[in-house]
Amino acid sequence: MSAGISLAVLLLVLGSSIAVAAGMLLTGLVLNQVYSPMPLTRMMGELAWSTTSNFILTAIPFYIMFGEILLRSGIAERMYNAMVQWLSWLPGGLMHSNIGSCAMFGSVSGSSVATAATIGVVAIGEIQKHKYNERLFLGTLAAGGTLGILIPPSINMIIYGVMTDTSVPKLYLAGFLPGLVLTLLFSLTVLIACLWRPRWGGEKVSTTWAERWRTLPDLLPPLVLLLIVVGAIFLGLATATESAAVGIMGALAMTAWRGRLTLGMLREVCEGTVRTTAMIVAILIGAFFLNVVIQTIGLTQQLGKLIKTHELTPAQVLTAVIVLYIVLGTFMEELSMMISTIPITTPLIIQAGYDPVWFGILLVLLIQTAMVTPPFGINIFVIHGIRARGTLSDVEVGASPFVVALLVMIALICAFPDIAMWLPRAVG
Amino acid sequence: MRRLQSIAAGVSRAGALVGGAMLLAAAVTICIDIFLRYAFARTVGGADELAGYALAIAGAWGLSMALLSRSHIRIDTVYVRVKSRAVRAALDVLSVAAFAVFAALVAWHGWGVLRLSYESGSRSQSALETPLAIPQAVWLAGLAFFVAVALLLLARALVAWARGDLDGLFRLIGSKSATVEAKEEIAAVEQALEKR
Repeated sequence: MSAGISLAVLLLVLGSSIAVAAGMLLTGLVLNQVYSPMPLTRMMGELAWSTTSNFILTAIPFYIMFGEILLRSGIAERMYNAMVQWLSWLPGGLMHSNIGSCAMFGSVSGSSVATAATIGVVAIGEIQKHKYNERLFLGTLAAGGTLGILIPPSINMIIYGVMTDTSVPKLYLAGFLPGLVLTLLFSLTVLIACLWRPRWGGEKVSTTWAERWRTLPDLLPPLVLLLIVVGAIFLGLATATESAAVGIMGALAMTAWRGRLTLGMLREVCEGTVRTTAMIVAILIGAFFLNVVIQTIGLTQQLGKLIKTHELTPAQVLTAVIVLYIVLGTFMEELSMMISTIPITTPLIIQAGYDPVWFGILLVLLIQTAMVTPPFGINIFVIHGIRARGTLSDVEVGASPFVVALLVMIALICAFPDIAMWLPRAVG
Repeated sequence: MRRLQSIAAGVSRAGALVGGAMLLAAAVTICIDIFLRYAFARTVGGADELAGYALAIAGAWGLSMALLSRSHIRIDTVYVRVKSRAVRAALDVLSVAAFAVFAALVAWHGWGVLRLSYESGSRSQSALETPLAIPQAVWLAGLAFFVAVALLLLARALVAWARGDLDGLFRLIGSKSATVEAKEEIAAVEQALEKR
């Protein structure tokens, strides 16, 4: 009974457009008042301090800062141009370069919005130049951008890892192969669409091998950063936070090398980092409090009992959770959706016998889907904003084939969990 | 009150800058630590601890800047479908009031944490043995400032409401639509990419 009421209270509070952080804290207060004799509010101070001074979470501002520096380093444009040289011979041309660039930028960036915005700004001018089908082109950018949180590093995986006590390096390892498979699926989607309707693929971009070899070194900076940031974690040389710190230094060095390191640039980086960080910190404080309340009043056990009395099989529980996320994902902001539901869904899934690392990857895929499904899909808004004309539904329609690709990926990872689990197991 | 707000904006910007600089310094310290670990097989220790303090402090001081720039996330699925401007204004006031309660509660209980650390003289369990009261005091100052900013915004919004100046109210505390937010993100990216 209390489970349903709790969820209703939470949705009502959040639906009334109260800031998510405050909404979760207030929901926690209400539930505490109604269901628990112990006043848990006293823990709030300790919780706020210990949460925000947590070393693992320090990785979050570091990755945000890393992204802010990368953006200003000039790496993205050069990388995109090189990708154009190497990938545009495929049917669908530049659209493959879009996806490839997103995957590569996503492998150094921990955020989907940043990935979509960066590659989007660089690529959008090409639609007119080469007469592409505009909708599909926009779709590749919106969908490709979501790869930012699946291919490590990933801010969402760090939050999931800290909230559920799951190893972040393992999550990173687990995200790697699905990231690769999904990139190929996205490219395959473009390929199929352009074989079916060749006109969508735009005019061929002419390249020469000389030009290809000349631009190849431009792919190096992101590769080097990828090796530093992700390689160090995989080899066990550094923790996620440490490697993010090294990444910041690497990105700063590259920015300086391109002559773009200035005091004004550093000031922008600091301000941008702190604004985004504070927004996440606020939600985390609210969520951790709600989490404690939920555990104390035994909400998860109740849900567990409910599942037992209805004799639900693990597969049914999983299906229910997936459907819940797809529904919530259409209208809820993605980050708050993830943080406010993890305390309820993850214990259920683990009780049902699924691996928390595997579920972390599934959850990221569901969040990616949410980012490109209307009415609220943040990447759709970003790409629409960059285009600055036409209607929102152009992007929505263009992204829909990739939503199908994402759903295929979700089905794949449910049918073959090893796509995610093989690498973490092999590395041990 | 407008003057007060521009002062508040200045202070929160400065707070954010210092917080960001602390994070950057923490990253540098960690790198030095890693370098020493692998080059000379020794550690200075404490870099991770300092990074934690940097996050707590930058986060606390950043809260007010995020509030002033209306960057805190709100689920506006219902909000944007409400036609009545008066109802929207009421929702905005409700949201900022809820934030004031949030800030006050966290700051009040944060004060308890600081007092306890100070009275018991507790130190971190590490090589640094930092007296916890020091980073916690800076952290709490950020939270206290956040309370002040939230209350200031609430007061200004109520005044605007009483005068019937709904546009003014929306400018202060209205929910930024996702499109506006996306536009700001893009503007930042474009600015960053064009600076060469």
